[in-house]
Amino acid sequence: MPGVSLADTHPVVVTVNGVPRERAVEPRLLLSDFLRHELGLTGTHVGCEHGVCGACTVLLDGEAVRACLLFAVQTDGHEVTTVEGLAEGEDLHPLQAAFREAHGLQCGFCTPGVLMTLVPFLAEHPAPTEADIREALSGHLCRCTGYAGMVEAVKLAARAAGHP
Amino acid sequence: MTESPSWLGRRVPRNEDARLLTGRALFVDDVNPPGTLHVAFFRSDHAHALIRGIELGTARRRPGVVAAYTAADLGEFWQPGQLLVAPVPVEGAVFHAVTQGPLARGKVCCAGEALAMVVAESRYLAEDALADIQVDLEPLPAVGDLEAALAPGAPVIHQGLGGNLAARARQRKGDYEAARAAAHRVIARRFRYDRGVSGAIENRGIVAAWDPRAEELTVWDTTQAPIPIRNGLARVLGLRESQVRVIAPFIGGGFGPKIMMHYPEELLVPWAARRLGATVKWIEDRQESFFATTQERLQIHDAELAVAADGKILGVRDRFLHDTGAYDPYGLTIPINTQCTLLGLYDVPCYDSEFTVVFTNRPIVTPVRGAGRQHGVFVMERLLDFAARELGLDPVEIRRRNLLTPDRFPHDHGILFQDSAPLIYDSGNYAPLLERAAERVEYQRFKRETQPAARAGGRRLGIGIVSYVEGTGIGPYEGARVTIEPSGTVRVATGVGTQGQGHFTTFAQIVAEVLGVEVGRVEVVTGDTREFGWGSGTFASRGIVVAGTACHEAACRVRAKAVALAAEILGVAAEEVELASAGARVRGAPQRRIGLGELARRANPLRGAVRPGTEPGLEATAYFGPDRGSTAAGVHAMVVEVDPETALVAIRRYVVVHDCGRVINPAIVDGQIQGGVAHGIGNAFYEALAWDENGQLLNASFMDYLLPTALDVPTVEIVHLETPSPLNPLGVKGVGEAGAIPTAAAFAQAVEDALAGTGLEILEAPLSPNRLFELLQALPGAAR
Amino acid sequence: MIVKGEHAFSGRPELVWALLLDPEVIAKAMPGTRELALTAPNRYEGRMVVTIGPVTAAEFALVIMLEELAPPRRFVMRVDGNGRFGFTRGTARVELAANDGGTMMRYEADLQVGGKIAAVGQRLLDVVSRTLLRAGLAALGKELEHRLGDGDRP
Repeated sequence: MPGVSLADTHPVVVTVNGVPRERAVEPRLLLSDFLRHELGLTGTHVGCEHGVCGACTVLLDGEAVRACLLFAVQTDGHEVTTVEGLAEGEDLHPLQAAFREAHGLQCGFCTPGVLMTLVPFLAEHPAPTEADIREALSGHLCRCTGYAGMVEAVKLAARAAGHP
Repeated sequence: MTESPSWLGRRVPRNEDARLLTGRALFVDDVNPPGTLHVAFFRSDHAHALIRGIELGTARRRPGVVAAYTAADLGEFWQPGQLLVAPVPVEGAVFHAVTQGPLARGKVCCAGEALAMVVAESRYLAEDALADIQVDLEPLPAVGDLEAALAPGAPVIHQGLGGNLAARARQRKGDYEAARAAAHRVIARRFRYDRGVSGAIENRGIVAAWDPRAEELTVWDTTQAPIPIRNGLARVLGLRESQVRVIAPFIGGGFGPKIMMHYPEELLVPWAARRLGATVKWIEDRQESFFATTQERLQIHDAELAVAADGKILGVRDRFLHDTGAYDPYGLTIPINTQCTLLGLYDVPCYDSEFTVVFTNRPIVTPVRGAGRQHGVFVMERLLDFAARELGLDPVEIRRRNLLTPDRFPHDHGILFQDSAPLIYDSGNYAPLLERAAERVEYQRFKRETQPAARAGGRRLGIGIVSYVEGTGIGPYEGARVTIEPSGTVRVATGVGTQGQGHFTTFAQIVAEVLGVEVGRVEVVTGDTREFGWGSGTFASRGIVVAGTACHEAACRVRAKAVALAAEILGVAAEEVELASAGARVRGAPQRRIGLGELARRANPLRGAVRPGTEPGLEATAYFGPDRGSTAAGVHAMVVEVDPETALVAIRRYVVVHDCGRVINPAIVDGQIQGGVAHGIGNAFYEALAWDENGQLLNASFMDYLLPTALDVPTVEIVHLETPSPLNPLGVKGVGEAGAIPTAAAFAQAVEDALAGTGLEILEAPLSPNRLFELLQALPGAAR
Repeated sequence: MIVKGEHAFSGRPELVWALLLDPEVIAKAMPGTRELALTAPNRYEGRMVVTIGPVTAAEFALVIMLEELAPPRRFVMRVDGNGRFGFTRGTARVELAANDGGTMMRYEADLQVGGKIAAVGQRLLDVVSRTLLRAGLAALGKELEHRLGDGDRP
């Protein structure tokens, strides 16, 4: 880390998208900054740094969390999944494909965070109602889409997985 | 021309989505070359203060800090910013241009003004160093109330002016006084429409890299206008335009404030990069954005409508105050938009509108989605609603009686628009918009059955229908270059930037249609001055109209070249050649064909000669500069349910009938409208900036400034009517701001309708649940 | 923000007056005060650390000036606090009246708060200032009891 002596750092070993990563970091380094700038995984975006907009959502041991509200050191020994871990090579994850089909994104800045919330949500609610979907999305702020395309995308993904 | 259905009017999935969805799209904060230095700004907490001293010694000595600067350290580089938009030449108008310097000097005029810049090895260290800075500010009384700012004895923000009046302009047509005298009724009210932030989820940012060996500056900037930024930076840094490259990569939402140019940070970060011979980066944080990014505006209108007994508009008079914040870099754009858009879809024979622009100790105001149009719509639609009530007319009927009829186009309103040209509506067919909206929302049935039945059951439902125009597609111009590459890929480069509105797909659709190729084979590049260096930017709903048309024209020229060459190779007349399925072929004999890639190779010979008067390759550049904008229009209808005890409002239905001329990609247009409505709902109900009397903003975070969520915004039912614009070959009009413009007016009408009989009048926006509750409590006969 | 109220002390006004003007006592009593010293007649300077909601450990450089002194009845206190997280400025009027062997202190303060603290802690300012004041006055009251107990008798 620039400008910091090794003595002030802590070691962190965290598995990110299935790959173990090891770094020495300052205790105050946010998880969002760690992922983006230390590991170069810039798909996770930062919108507010106070945990409201949801753009920085990642999965910690499978559960959706806000990376701007966690310190990197808190993930030592855990597993993190980011948006870069969804697609398989060139093949989009079914949820990503549904977003494209249903025009569920415009500028795309809030989208990675939304996807990371929806992945565990759909796993737990394979046949969600519109009300369920809107509730799941309510922790995310989007200024472009007005959310309608996202709702359609989730419905599409649920149908494609065999749940009308 | 093509075998497959046309690309125009098709819901093509977007070319850019795979990159965005997988997190591979480059946004400015993703740019992180090794050795990048990071900037933090020391900003004033006071809204109005004299600067007695700033001490940077301690900050400079902190380990990891590379440099720290105040205005004094900038030397000759310090200048007040450029005036971005010359004031519209309204006769007799007064305009005092006062623009912001890159770092505050002498005094601070609004909270958040930058006093010093720190450059360090990391953002964390740069922010640590802010705590080392000692600043001696002598606070002055701050003013935020518009009338107080103009009153004698008010604290004067810019000494040289002697007062806080920034501008005044009056536009008139016909004889309003005569109209007033002849009127059956004159409806007069005071309206207030307050500030809000644009709220793009991506904050602003800039990375500047100075390469001392190549003597080139590369800048990544979250701007909607990379070309003017490039030109401005070259000028202020004393560089040639060719030495500066500005890249606006993927941008996380623009909405207007990112077209504000030459923000202090946009000048200082490249300046520091050049001075330090390094890559320097600044990313705004959310709290900073509430002060440092421009926002939208407060206006107070004293307006009156003179109507005849049958509800026909005889004239409108409006006197309004407009808050420009501490500086006025954007000329008269916003209040002129208000002045013009107030006329709406209606036949207004007499008009007398005067506005006064006022300086306040608040963040600078520049266009945000709607750019003042919503204020004009709010005033006119509300006045019509009150007139309807007094005359015993239905709100839809009073509008119906006043619509401009199709035989009145092009319609010259006799006043000037924001582009300094006369306000002329190019085309429009308004009655069908109103009728379709009323039909779709089932207006008659609602009034006759649904509403009374609900009321009998104790539920208060209400309906609102309002109309608006949106002036779009203004000049000066945009350009595009289309190239068919030997691989068969078609490359399109244009100067506008993209912030989510799908240019990578819609421009590709336009070009694909002309050249007979798959949309996926058309690669569009936007926002990089090295790729295309002539143009102005993405603003005022003009992308598809101006840049899209330029793409079309360039593609047509390439088509002509391809056809001519193919005709020669295939041995037929040019008229017999058609472009389809990525190739040129003889009409009626499709086996006689040559692929476009092969054609491009042949057009660029390694031997032989290029004939005089022709150019190598299959490439062409074209520009489009409309001398005036095209007018889109629409009607919004909304059904709400109000809980009279808690004043909570739920939106049950939202219908938009919109005419933006020819639709290139319905999914994208629908997305713009849906997103615009969400923005409008925010401004109508949830989003309010709260200031105290000392100019302190009390809710500078998303915890307390509420953007609407998926629970607050319904899926909008959208109907498209298409009245093509005669001003461009595709017949398109813009649509980016449409959704956000009339929402507050629809909201007010619907809530009043739900609470009919209480005497409630809604004369302001935003209207939060708290405020609605207060208004209800203040009514005579309110239950306590 | 207006803060006003009253508080009863068990000592005479002269004793309370002495207490209020003693920087060591104030430093001990006001939660978060790190130092407070008299640097010129009627001028105190020091540091204070406050937590208001999301803004934790906000440090302020304090300057307090006393004016319009009419011992032991009343004085006016002007406060100027500056720090990285914002500023606070205000004026407080304090009146002491003899009350049944003790003292009734009445105070009224007009405080202006700005910067980050105002921007994100607005909702909590009221509560936090009351809490600090209550704790401070309680501590002062204890100190007075302590002194009375030690023989500072009228």
